[in-house]
Amino acid sequence: MASLHANGTLGGGDDSQNQHDSNLDNGTSRRLTDEEFDRYSRQMIVPGMGKEGQLRLINGRILIIGAGGLGCPAAQYIAGAGVGTIGIIDGDVVELSNLHRQVGHSTSRIGMKKVDSLITHLRDLNPLPTYIPHPFPLTPQNAASILSAYDVILDCTDNPATRYLISDVCVLLGKPLVSAASVRTSGQLIVLNCPPAPQGVLADGPHPPCYRCCFKNPPPPHAAPSCGEAGILGPVVGLMGLAQAGEAIKILASALHLPTHTGEANLRQPTLLIYSYDLAGAVGPYTFRALRMAGRKKTCFACGEGSEGRLTLEGIKDGTPDYEVFCGLNATPKGGGLSPQERITAGAYRAARERGELEGHLLVDTREREHFSLGRIEGAVNVPFGGLLMKAAAIKREGGRGAEILPGVGVGAEAAIFVVCRRGLDSQEVVEKFKELGLDNGGKRRIMDIVGGMKAWKDEVDPSFPFV
Amino acid sequence: MASKPPKGHFHVLYFAAAGSYTSKQVEALPAPLPLSKLFATLEGRYDGITAGVLENSLVTINLAYVDLPGTSEGGEDVMIEEGDEVAIIPPVSSG
Repeated sequence: MASLHANGTLGGGDDSQNQHDSNLDNGTSRRLTDEEFDRYSRQMIVPGMGKEGQLRLINGRILIIGAGGLGCPAAQYIAGAGVGTIGIIDGDVVELSNLHRQVGHSTSRIGMKKVDSLITHLRDLNPLPTYIPHPFPLTPQNAASILSAYDVILDCTDNPATRYLISDVCVLLGKPLVSAASVRTSGQLIVLNCPPAPQGVLADGPHPPCYRCCFKNPPPPHAAPSCGEAGILGPVVGLMGLAQAGEAIKILASALHLPTHTGEANLRQPTLLIYSYDLAGAVGPYTFRALRMAGRKKTCFACGEGSEGRLTLEGIKDGTPDYEVFCGLNATPKGGGLSPQERITAGAYRAARERGELEGHLLVDTREREHFSLGRIEGAVNVPFGGLLMKAAAIKREGGRGAEILPGVGVGAEAAIFVVCRRGLDSQEVVEKFKELGLDNGGKRRIMDIVGGMKAWKDEVDPSFPFV
Repeated sequence: MASKPPKGHFHVLYFAAAGSYTSKQVEALPAPLPLSKLFATLEGRYDGITAGVLENSLVTINLAYVDLPGTSEGGEDVMIEEGDEVAIIPPVSSG
């Protein structure tokens, strides 16, 4: 298989017409084996695919970054379709809470590296492709050397920092990027950098956008919850992963990623597909939306004017840009200014309760309603974080009484307030908010953050607590 | 959920985090409204939505991406007209 790629990279941005043609011929002149004919016959007879398309798939190389809710279904259909080389990168191991959506793993493989688990499944489905495991996380240091060995890249990851890293490296290496994301009941899909244009070039455009052209700034960390925090429905993320497989297969089979191919016109209109699943209603007018996106942006950090001077493969390897700082991951929480007297460990809170020192206190749990419904500390009242912030802002603006923010559960104005959240970040911000609203009566009333949230409660106090 | 806004209004669709923030999928707002006033109008209804959601979101009018006026992209101000469909699309990162 490797020799088929020896005379030029399929994804190269500056292939001459000749190289390009020889590349296309290269894979399409051999005979299919009997098994290949049998296995792929139903897709080969689809108009536009044919034996040529199938051979381009067989000669194609796809990298799937992330073996989770997107990566599992994407990998299944890419393997089934017979893409010849399939790389999978992920550093995680299979957990029980993955299996409702990550259907390429299995109950019997809990604890196994996700990459090995998924490849086990894929080999059973189709033993013909070459599977390349990368059982570690993608980093700025290893990204370029891994991505460079593939023709099409699938972003199936779960965090903003890695999404920006992947997009930047795809721009620099000239690789088409099929990007999807999903959380709760929402999904997004977009094909980026396809066909690839050299970094910084704006003439003869429009050229296709990169991820930064579409989303210039990452969401603030608390607004980009992971599936572990916010929840995810299997079919929602699964549909997005399947759509990624569909895009990747068409890019390879029709050679849409090659700059000079006539098919490029199809990709000149970058489109963001949005899927909005409504748990409480049937398919409706907003379920699918196809939004026309702009092309490459002149001002884009990664691919716009002068970008060669600020984004390079060497720079990324050396830590510039710093993706974690860019995405605010190292920022201290807003409540980082709490004094030690305003914080209490879960264990100390429990002990104080048992000693009867907290008679009549108010315990506010700021997790989402669904988390709260699965388990709570006895006596806790639920005031979800998002709504609380909005209400706090409204009270400030309209000059209302600070106490309006508290649930009407009949606690005295002197009663101590304890705040707990999921992992201990939101609760610090809420303590600050309560103080801003004057709930501490100028320091006479105790308002305390429970350090580490319900995670710490489970670890320190109640191992049987159903923490999600 | 009507697919046409009432007379004299346009629709705003709230996707992903924007929907969580507003607790709505769609609502009708009075038209016409200059695009340059959109964020301030939404901020007036949903405190903190600009910094929490809008600044990181992309905006479309009638299914087409628009650059916001006053940003580094220097988008032209346009009028959001009666019957238009505006969408607020925050990035989704999970998978």
